[in-house]
Amino acid sequence: MSLIQTENLTKVYGAGETAITALNCVNLQVNAGEFVAVMGPSGCGKSTLLHLLGGLDRPTSGSVMIQDHPLAKLSDDALSQLRRRKIGFVFQFFNLIPILSSVENAALPLLLDGKNSAQAKHKASEWLTKIGLGERLKNRPDQLSAGQQQRVAIARALVTEPVLILADEPTGNLDTKSADEIADLLKQVAKTWGRAVLMVTHDPRIATHADRIVLMRDGQIVEDKRNAKDEG
Amino acid sequence: MNLQLTLAARYLGGRKLRAFLTTLAVVIGVMVIFGMGVYLPSFTAAFEKSLLAASGQADVVITHKTGESFAATMLNRVRAVNGIAVSVGAVERIINIPPNFYGKNSTVTGLTLVGVEPAVAPYLHADYTTPTQGRFLKQGDGNVAVISERLADSLGVKLNDTVKLPTTQGVVKLTIVGLLPGRALTGNEQIIIPLAQAQKLLDMPGRINVIEANLGVTGEAERRAIVEQIKAQLGNTYTLGGLSSGSEFLGAMQMAEVIFNMLGLLTLAMGGFIIFNTFRTIVAERRHDIGMLRAIGANRATIISLVLTEGLVQGVVGTAIGIGLGYLLGVGITAGTGAVMKSVMNIELTPVVEPPLVVVSILLGVGVTLFAGLLPALSASRVTPIEALRPALSQVAQRFSRIGTLVGAVMIGIAIAGLLTGFFPLVALGGFMFLIGLVLVAPALVRPIANLFGMLLALLFAREGTGELAQGNLTRQPSRAAITASATMIGLAIVVGAGGMMFSLTGTVMQLFSKTLGSDYLLVPPSIAIWKGDVGASESLKAKISSIPGVGVVSSLRYAQSSLQSAAIKGSGEATISVLGIDPVEYPKISGLDFQKGTAQDAFAALAADERNTIVNGILAAGANLKVGDLIPLATPTGLQEYRIVAIGSEVLSMKINTAYISQANLKADFHKSEDVFYQVNLAPGADVALAEQWLNQIVADYPQFRLVGGREYTAEFSAQYDSIFIGFYVLLGVLAFPSLIAILNTLAIGVIERTREIGMLRAIGATRRQVWRTIVAEALLLAALGTGLGVLAGLYLSYVFVEGLNASGIYKMAYAFPGAGVLAATAVGLIFGVLAALLPARQASQMEIIKALRYE
Ligand SMILES: Nc1ncnc2c1ncn2[C@@H]1O[C@H](COP(=O)(O)OP(=O)(O)OP(=O)(O)O)[C@@H](O)[C@H]1O
Ligand SMILES: [Mg+2]
Repeated sequence: MSLIQTENLTKVYGAGETAITALNCVNLQVNAGEFVAVMGPSGCGKSTLLHLLGGLDRPTSGSVMIQDHPLAKLSDDALSQLRRRKIGFVFQFFNLIPILSSVENAALPLLLDGKNSAQAKHKASEWLTKIGLGERLKNRPDQLSAGQQQRVAIARALVTEPVLILADEPTGNLDTKSADEIADLLKQVAKTWGRAVLMVTHDPRIATHADRIVLMRDGQIVEDKRNAKDEG
Repeated sequence: MNLQLTLAARYLGGRKLRAFLTTLAVVIGVMVIFGMGVYLPSFTAAFEKSLLAASGQADVVITHKTGESFAATMLNRVRAVNGIAVSVGAVERIINIPPNFYGKNSTVTGLTLVGVEPAVAPYLHADYTTPTQGRFLKQGDGNVAVISERLADSLGVKLNDTVKLPTTQGVVKLTIVGLLPGRALTGNEQIIIPLAQAQKLLDMPGRINVIEANLGVTGEAERRAIVEQIKAQLGNTYTLGGLSSGSEFLGAMQMAEVIFNMLGLLTLAMGGFIIFNTFRTIVAERRHDIGMLRAIGANRATIISLVLTEGLVQGVVGTAIGIGLGYLLGVGITAGTGAVMKSVMNIELTPVVEPPLVVVSILLGVGVTLFAGLLPALSASRVTPIEALRPALSQVAQRFSRIGTLVGAVMIGIAIAGLLTGFFPLVALGGFMFLIGLVLVAPALVRPIANLFGMLLALLFAREGTGELAQGNLTRQPSRAAITASATMIGLAIVVGAGGMMFSLTGTVMQLFSKTLGSDYLLVPPSIAIWKGDVGASESLKAKISSIPGVGVVSSLRYAQSSLQSAAIKGSGEATISVLGIDPVEYPKISGLDFQKGTAQDAFAALAADERNTIVNGILAAGANLKVGDLIPLATPTGLQEYRIVAIGSEVLSMKINTAYISQANLKADFHKSEDVFYQVNLAPGADVALAEQWLNQIVADYPQFRLVGGREYTAEFSAQYDSIFIGFYVLLGVLAFPSLIAILNTLAIGVIERTREIGMLRAIGATRRQVWRTIVAEALLLAALGTGLGVLAGLYLSYVFVEGLNASGIYKMAYAFPGAGVLAATAVGLIFGVLAALLPARQASQMEIIKALRYE
């Protein structure tokens, strides 16, 4: 049994002559503890795939199952809850709330889930410490470097103990050194903490950190291979 | 603290200026409503209380419907009714005290002269039997009086001193024989003298104007039966119970209260627009944050409550401050107008805070804020999580709803159609539809108007492209620009509307004034127009004035109160009327009426004839639907008398009071009134002015109830007085206009905050500080021009509605005057406000540090 499984996942934007098929019958399975990199030229449908997997958008046809539960049947509230508890997101632009400190930002999903504020912050600082930001708990995003901001975002994604982490070009806005560190961290997330991690990236060097590389073109998966370096 | 509150507090804290401005909008709206709520009811309450006090403590108080005197023998009819324990006849008359009559520092401006039968009155007023010093009146007393200790204090007199009083016989001195304990009632202090003496001093021999009676039974049903019997005995020209006069004035006060509440509501609506606008921007600005929250699992309800919590915090804080400031405003207005009210009407004002007012203010303040935040909150909840994954780009070219534009256009059409019908309810409804219509159409107008002004600005700020940039900034957010403009519009509409109304009023009044009060000299009583309390002089004064060498024409006014029953009169079907007696020969020589129907020549000739003819003024004709040729039954002390209307005409002093002019001969015959309350004097050509004036002064010195003033001087005084009454109103208008300044400031500030990155980019690629500054100022000018244009348009409509409304309500009758100066002033103020509002944000934008701006999230 796979953690995520898609069946003929298709997404068409628009209708009639201007319709764009962003995803075309994609079948993909990802297991717990797997670190998958999704690559492909711009506009091939990588982000669209991530959105559908994370329940941010609904497919035109086909289905997404997470832990054997089809997402199609869920209401908006149920999907929100699923995102809150089972999925963690990491964005290219970090998307931290500028007025909140690192801890508060990382604790957000727990707070949204109605958890007690002290507990939530305790948990958030644990995660921040684990990923090396123990010194920066009280700082606000504008007092952090880009790499540090992305770490806060990763802590935020992990704080609810989700089964799946979705990251859309998490290193797109970082310098090489920080990018490598973030990729390593995501690998650690998969390996040490046993989450499934799906990361979209343009950078082949970053992709080499992953176990598996999925290559897309024109809305379809054209190649799905084990990472040679990883096997070796 | 829960998440919503934390986020609300942090967001507000992070944008202090904006949070302050938004909250200020709530503050001002609540302040106006609360302030007016504190002031107006206290005013009406005080007025009602003094009316109640006037009606006394006896079981039954009988007065003539006209308020005038009647034969003392009427008392016998009352005494004939079974079940009446005791009944007394009395004379009660308010006497206005001329300024400085009791010395410079005296605060006594009016007294009630009460003439009672010394032997019987104590049966009805127990306090008469227990004087604290001296004794009560007794049979055979002459010029003696009993007054309260409090009055004695304020007059600075003691037992056995004398106190002087203006009367129809000139000034008389009364010896104080007794002091009574202070009364708990508000209203004038009383001077109690023997009935016979009062009849002599007031020139009303054998007459009384009030009968008080106590009943010998206590059962409610029995009492009612007795009251019915009294009514049957007296006929329907008498009133039982309290005084009905003054109710007309109460009506006017209620109308004012409605108008002020309307203004308060409009202000709050304006505040609502500001808040709405802020929240829209907040949502637009935080699309990323909101999208991220959605992506990490916040559901729609959470997002809605997030935005609403922020609104709630501001609503609560704003309302609390608004109530505080509103209380101060109310107290301030009370203090500011208190002196005038006390001297004009003997009313003490104390600000009152009624619990319902607090509740309503809170509901409105918090409610409007939440309501204004609701739409943006809903739109925030529709932000998709995917928004968070897109790179940040401020939105370009919002669309506006075509349906809204269409509905707005239709509403404006209906409003104009309503205006054309001239039917007041439709005109009034049209006023609101016009405003709402403009608000709806505004977004569609932004682009063309911005383009138009943009061309002008391009000429001003040539070559730099700042004008175009400003224009572009506005047109890409037409709805937001329109909302700001709408807030400005409502603010200016109120100012132009109310200002236009006052302009019409002042114009009408001053025109009438110069026409009807153009004589060389006037002898003015303490209270003009509300003649009831004035003590006039007997015919001998007029004769004395006429005999002064150099005096050409002397004309006097006499006064009596009456009432008219007619199905056409709204409410009770009955109206109180001032009957003014004029000399049909002398009056037209020196004064005049502004005739709406009929001619001066025919009308005065008809009054001179030995028939019952009358000229009614405009407000009476409108209120009772009267035409020339109608016969109207006027209530007189001798019963109903039919007068034929020969013309409709008004003069300034009585323009807002139902008035019928009749000949002095008829006034004497039907109303038993022959005292003159107002004189106009013209000198003969070639007269020795100095000598004549000296004589006049000398004669008037014996009649301190009159003040001698020169005609021109009086006109100036009148217009000054008139202006001073309106100063409060102007202040209020200022308070109302202020939010529109904040609206523009707010939008601009938000616009600057929102475009921080863009501005940083502009600066990075080489725009100078000056250019950035100009862009913002140009944008402000565009916004202000839009708001001002629409505001003036709506204001003109509103002023027309106000004028028509006042005409229809019968409080004032006036012609609509186009407030040209007001329009110019409003335009100037609107544009100046625009620039003022721009200064702060423009400074902020131009001083921005480029690096910070570029990194701004
Ligand atoms: N909201 C939308 N409406 C219409 N078309 C869309 C929308 N979002 C994406 N598309 C189209 O779908 C296709 C796939 O887009 P997607 O964002 O998934 O590409 P991507 O692989 O993530 O590209 P990039 O590497 O540039 O981020 C593109 O052709 C894009 O133009
Ligand atoms: Mg993408």
